[in-house]
Amino acid sequence: MTPKSSPVIVFLCRCFGEIDRAIDLKRLARGIARSRSIAAVEIRDSLCLVENLDELYSFFEKDGADRILIGACSWRARGASVIGGLARQMLHPANIELVDLREGCAWIHEEKAGITYEKAINLIDMGLAALEFKGKTEGTAVDTCATALVIGAGPAGLSAAVSLGKLGIPVHIVERKSEIGGMLTFISSLYTGNRDPNEILSPLLEALESDSRIKISTKSRVTSVDGTPGNFNITLFTPEGERRFSAGAIIVACGARPVIPQGYYRYGRLQNIISQMELEGRLAKASIDAKRIVFIQCVAARCKERPYCSTICCPSSLKNAMRVMGAVPGAEAVILHRDIMTQGVNLEDYYRRAMSMGIRFIRFDPEHPPVIEGEHQVEAVNVYDVLSGKYLRLDADMVVLSTPLAPHEENGELARILGLRLDRHGFFSGSEPMHPLTTSVDGLFLCGSARWPVSADQAVLQGRAAAMKAFGFLTDSSTKAASASGCIPGPPAGSAFVETEICSGCGNCVAACPFQACSLLKSDQSTRSFVDKIRCKGCGTCMSVCLNGAIQIPENNTRRTREMLKSAFSRSGIH
Amino acid sequence: MYAHLGKAYSPKKILIIGGGVAGITAALDLAASGASVHLVERGSFLGGNVAKLEKVYPTDHCAFCHLWTEIKKCMDHPCVTVHLQTRVKKLSRSGRDFQVLIAEAPAYIDPERCIFCGKCRKACASDKKAAGIHASSGAIHQAWEHASPPFYQVDFDMCSRCGDCQTVCPTGAIDINRPEKSVQILAGGVIWATGFREADLSSLKEFGSDTHPDIMSAMEFEAWAGEQGPCRGKVKRRSDGKTPKSIAFVQCVGARDRRLLPYCASVCCMHAVKQAKWVKKRKPEIECTIFLTDLRTIGKDYYGYAKRGIEDHGLEIIRGRPGLILPLIERGEIAVKYEDTLVQQRRIRAFDMVVLNGGLEMGACQPAVSKRSFSKEALGSTGALTRQEDERACGFCKGPADMADSIIGASAAALDTIILNKVKY
Repeated sequence: MTPKSSPVIVFLCRCFGEIDRAIDLKRLARGIARSRSIAAVEIRDSLCLVENLDELYSFFEKDGADRILIGACSWRARGASVIGGLARQMLHPANIELVDLREGCAWIHEEKAGITYEKAINLIDMGLAALEFKGKTEGTAVDTCATALVIGAGPAGLSAAVSLGKLGIPVHIVERKSEIGGMLTFISSLYTGNRDPNEILSPLLEALESDSRIKISTKSRVTSVDGTPGNFNITLFTPEGERRFSAGAIIVACGARPVIPQGYYRYGRLQNIISQMELEGRLAKASIDAKRIVFIQCVAARCKERPYCSTICCPSSLKNAMRVMGAVPGAEAVILHRDIMTQGVNLEDYYRRAMSMGIRFIRFDPEHPPVIEGEHQVEAVNVYDVLSGKYLRLDADMVVLSTPLAPHEENGELARILGLRLDRHGFFSGSEPMHPLTTSVDGLFLCGSARWPVSADQAVLQGRAAAMKAFGFLTDSSTKAASASGCIPGPPAGSAFVETEICSGCGNCVAACPFQACSLLKSDQSTRSFVDKIRCKGCGTCMSVCLNGAIQIPENNTRRTREMLKSAFSRSGIH
Repeated sequence: MYAHLGKAYSPKKILIIGGGVAGITAALDLAASGASVHLVERGSFLGGNVAKLEKVYPTDHCAFCHLWTEIKKCMDHPCVTVHLQTRVKKLSRSGRDFQVLIAEAPAYIDPERCIFCGKCRKACASDKKAAGIHASSGAIHQAWEHASPPFYQVDFDMCSRCGDCQTVCPTGAIDINRPEKSVQILAGGVIWATGFREADLSSLKEFGSDTHPDIMSAMEFEAWAGEQGPCRGKVKRRSDGKTPKSIAFVQCVGARDRRLLPYCASVCCMHAVKQAKWVKKRKPEIECTIFLTDLRTIGKDYYGYAKRGIEDHGLEIIRGRPGLILPLIERGEIAVKYEDTLVQQRRIRAFDMVVLNGGLEMGACQPAVSKRSFSKEALGSTGALTRQEDERACGFCKGPADMADSIIGASAAALDTIILNKVKY
């Protein structure tokens, strides 16, 4: 970073007396005018009002200086609007520096009038040093490839793809299995209201067929993703061989898998102990030969191995218990639960309806789990009812174990390919709590059970929400770095940049970067770090771990900080 | 902007009613896709109910840090016009569009010109008339803490219209005769995001709502004990300012109750755990007891959050809804009569404070407008706003939803509105 030498104009704001009440601005102007780099010092009543901004710029234009130092209020107060106003007049923020003379000097030291002048001089001195070594991030935009890749053809993925198709975005769907529809192909009805899964699936499939912009590769998987957000290069493994193409955005909708209750409650050892998914199959074929059915909730969930609540198993049991009551005359259904998760309007109503149908709900204690009796066949379930404080013996012909949805084992591999991190359970994680479907990588979105177990309706809704996020991302014809796109309030943060002559290729930055923006480029002679400027958010973590100071953010580099500190403590420069 | 998508697209203006997390998200999503948005908020700032929260579960982050960025984006976005302190006066259909009339309360202090010097505030506070109404400060307050840029606002109810502020303002930002501004908007789509409000619990006499200053609702407790509240983050009793020894958090008050709201408000179990945990972090010696029916942990990692909160901080969970909450005036305590269903015993216990939680009503919108634009069927028996041809609802006003659900629903509603507009034009 070579220091800049063009002259600087200093504007000092009186802020209608707020600043010059505590700091003698005329004396300050005389004091700093002696500095070599300053071309002129101007004092104004207020810089932030619209009429003054225009005047400021015209003054600036005729003087020929291209750098400006503003001594006014803080960035958080009206400083941002002053700089914003100047930036709109085509003045690059790299050539403007704001010095906080109001909140940081005049107001806070109001009682000690003596020190405000000294501090103001120091602040301006630091501002000059900052301006001298402030760089400019360049090359922070790529052309957006207005297509999307959707991983997973379940309800969430299909809904996202169809929505994007309706908005004119070509979509490529990748599905690992040979069939599309995801979990909707396994279950035979949906809560609430015992609806046919085709109610959701058919319209999606119809829209899919009628839209020529949507392509599907089944029995395929993503093997590599590189390139930048807005222009990812994707490689697929398909039965026909490898396929490569570009996509601007990626939606992860790979779903989750139901847990098989192997090893819980004598499953697999006694007849007629089945999982919720097996019951779904039997209900579809109407082959239920039992009359007294006991559902056990929280099997393999809310336990040590899986310390989470998958939230969809309670309503699923309600639905299936109600179906059994309808299908088998004289059937008795008991649901053993820990907490019934029926939030909101419809589910709470559903719960009430289940109770009115005669389904019994018994709360059990995880410390005393239910015990299934029987030698070859289920005979009864013994349970400690926490409400009555009694042990109950429930005669049963069938026990249904309600298991949660768990993340796919392949999630780890997919996360590695995409440069994402998984949460401690193995699900994909968004930027909670404000952006649940947006990930740390721009242009990469989540929906459905890949993020957290959801019902089919919720999956479809999340698919639409993720499609909205992707559409917003793809709308602009160029994808800019987050730090340059103006979506982060505050001064432009800039993107990191590697000085290849100094870089030793140690890889510290690669390990430290929270946004997977750093990577190592290997050539025959050497290994060097490389920063993807679009992914970089300008956080500066890499700078702090770089041993040689090879990685820098031009707007906020180490040299700049050092010079600012030097000028603050050495009392050279203006003094 | 749409040239590279290969198809001409002319988005119409979209009206969003309600500036909470759902409204903000819908506005920003629509704006990102190039649509121009009018965001109408009744209050004096954006953020809705989430902005009033101290912390959010399950991350225990400050609600406002996250929200602030989004609010700033909304305020600065060229495609979003934010109308604060604004009410929808009329909403009618005209052909395929909506004719909307909104009334924006006059900004006596122009935020564009306010330099936050505080001269008006001092002038107002020294004014005898204003001082008579409010002992410590006048009618002029900072719009909201963390506003960027910060600016002052006039509280209409307290203002005596003396005009002192006008004379001291150096930038000429104040004009107390500024009229109410009516704006006519032709909108191609409407998104309702009016959130929730706490229900009036006075019909449920046994919970003793409003009978004692230390029986408060969950949102009142959040405002009372929060960092920005009058106690600056210290947990105190409202009646005598002493630190309470025990606090009862009572769930499902007015909710899952056919007398008032038959539904479950979804957010309150986690909210109570969060509040109790937060009290414990500040003062571990305060005993926190949560009375609940089912501990509903619906959302990403909520169960883990609740479990850690209960185990690490020793929160007492009692399954059962109290039958009677009665202030004992002489003893300065509040008696709670309940049945501990786990040990099958009826008990009476005295608490220093009681927080009532659960009765959240959907859609805190102006009845005049909602009646006009939503038919009875659309409002449904529970008052929930449901989907109608080309109006969309998202967030809590559509059905109980926490922050994540509201945000996801808002994005989906934004998408529906875009697709609908694309079909229409």
